Amino acid sequence: MKHKYQWGMALFLLISLIVATGCQQGSESKTIKIGHAVSLTGDNSVFGQSEATGLKIGVEELNKKGGILGKQIEVVTVDTRNDPAETVNAVRRLVDQEKVVAVLGPSSSGPAMSATPIVTAGKIPLIATAASNPYVTADKQGGIHKYVFRVCFIDTYQGLVDAEFAYDRLKARKVAVLYDVGSDYSQWLAKYFEDAFIKKGGVVVAKEAYRTGELDFRAPLGKIKGSNPDLLFLPLTQKDAALAAKQSRDLGIKAILMGGDNWASPDILTLAGPAIEGAYFSNSASLDDPRVKDWITAHEKQFSGPLVRNALLVNDALSWLADAMKRANSTDGDKIVAALEATKDLPVMTTDKFTIDPKTHDPLNRPAYFSKIQGGKFVFVEEYAAK
Amino acid sequence: MFLQTLITGIAIGGIYALMAVGYSLVFSILNFSNFAHGVIIMLGAYIGFYACEWFHAPVLVAMVGAMVGSAVIAVTVEKLAYRPLRLKRAVPLYFMISAMGAAIFLENLVYVTVGAHFFSYPAFLQQSVQIGQSNLGLLDIGALSLSAVAITCLTLFLSKAKLGIAIRAAARDMTVLGTLGVNIDSLLMVVFSIAGLFAGMAGVFLGIKYLVYPTMGWITNKAYIAAVIGGIGSLPGSVVGGITLGIVESFVSVYLTTALRDVFSFTFLIVLLLFRPSGLFGKTLDEKV
Repeated sequence: MKHKYQWGMALFLLISLIVATGCQQGSESKTIKIGHAVSLTGDNSVFGQSEATGLKIGVEELNKKGGILGKQIEVVTVDTRNDPAETVNAVRRLVDQEKVVAVLGPSSSGPAMSATPIVTAGKIPLIATAASNPYVTADKQGGIHKYVFRVCFIDTYQGLVDAEFAYDRLKARKVAVLYDVGSDYSQWLAKYFEDAFIKKGGVVVAKEAYRTGELDFRAPLGKIKGSNPDLLFLPLTQKDAALAAKQSRDLGIKAILMGGDNWASPDILTLAGPAIEGAYFSNSASLDDPRVKDWITAHEKQFSGPLVRNALLVNDALSWLADAMKRANSTDGDKIVAALEATKDLPVMTTDKFTIDPKTHDPLNRPAYFSKIQGGKFVFVEEYAAK
Repeated sequence: MFLQTLITGIAIGGIYALMAVGYSLVFSILNFSNFAHGVIIMLGAYIGFYACEWFHAPVLVAMVGAMVGSAVIAVTVEKLAYRPLRLKRAVPLYFMISAMGAAIFLENLVYVTVGAHFFSYPAFLQQSVQIGQSNLGLLDIGALSLSAVAITCLTLFLSKAKLGIAIRAAARDMTVLGTLGVNIDSLLMVVFSIAGLFAGMAGVFLGIKYLVYPTMGWITNKAYIAAVIGGIGSLPGSVVGGITLGIVESFVSVYLTTALRDVFSFTFLIVLLLFRPSGLFGKTLDEKV
């Protein structure tokens, strides 16, 4: 009798394993392998899944045109779960086992930073998509991470733009900040925003924190309510921002809500509902850009999931990498790095003149795009560059 | 500010308490920490969510559905993951490992079937009452009262009903109870059903208050701590532990620091355990439940 259960359980687990692994198979052919480290599951999955489908279309187009250096591109996608520790394993697999020539992603700062030592040891270039923390490409001693690049703007810039927009356009003078101490992105963006806002002449009346994974922010928000701010800055993921928005309205906080590029996931609208109406956020690429209209239609034909700006950014990264490999005429890591650094005025999906600063590995002249949440939709407000 | 902090603390603590009851109940009988409880809460939240989404069920009906569904899942987990160990007389450590395995398995099952997206319940009891400068959410009042009713019912059941008395006897000594002719299998089915019912209720409240997503079950770590503070295995202990933890957390966040909130909660736990190793309400082993 008892063996029946054991065998039943064993069989059940075995079948689940087979089903789970059934779809994964390797192929050995004459292709160039590019790794894609992306959060397919976890808190950031909306961004990650959109990035994965966006890259799929980009690579198909590139392969139709003959690929790179006469070879077809093969993408190896690994899941980071948006978790720095998980990213280490995922990227190590790409570098050590899959022998990719370059890595695209991760899309957020914490995971991108944890991938840095691995790609550096393997001498494999990495292009982060939406990882905006300055220390993704720079090290803390003032040098740069030789193998790490990015396509988006950086948080010192985003914090500045957000602070200027809040002060000049939204006329906020007293702000409160709620941030996540467990996230590099959140912690630093909060700091850059705060510094820039004080420099403008505003006052930060409350700055409160919580730890990643927390669901209830009513205690810190209660404290924020007491300081009566004009604007509440929430440099958080769309999930936490939605919760914070709901809970602050429950507590009777009436301040304008504002966030960074992590808000740019359409599920924030359903998750927060009416609580997030009238809020503003900055973004590193805009889906309202006329240049990407046709491409978005093509994406929507093939995939049904929500489309976010990561899909555009990863295509910027792909064209940049393809161009660098062509110029380097090689798949050698160091040669690709040299070519990536030398990129100037390259037309990519979101801009006609993509130029990289070889001193920082960050792109130059990236503006921010502000949207407002109105009538349960993202409404484009304006393209805004810091003064 | 003081009143608001207290209200917030009690509201958060009430949810911890509801989750802690399930832990305590199973611990008191099988003597291991059922780490799969959090995942059952998560599955309960999904069942309730889909009941609202697909069948447009009113939230309270969805909650009943979630409770029944969670009970079925809890019993199934017991049958598949714990019963074989029980028959082999394995030590509690193996039950705990099996529970973690079940938790990770079910969580990943949700990832591959439903996906990692976040969902939110339809709006329910969103109004709040103003008391002076403080806001008290109707949902919090509802959740607290319903939890109180459910926990009272369970306490009455355990002290008055024949089956309840049998469960208490099992907490004292399951082997002897078995030799006296009580069917341990069906008794545990009842215990896990009750734990499941509570998980379903907690899941729906969590879902309405926050969001529904695959890793939401990990919030029960807090409930587990609440159960330990109260004295794991003791029902009144779970309730007091939950509310104490909620209040400590919100006061630390407001008057000391939000970033170090968990450091304070855990220090509180360690200090408490140094002086009272079995928690606030923990008694000698044979007086659990």
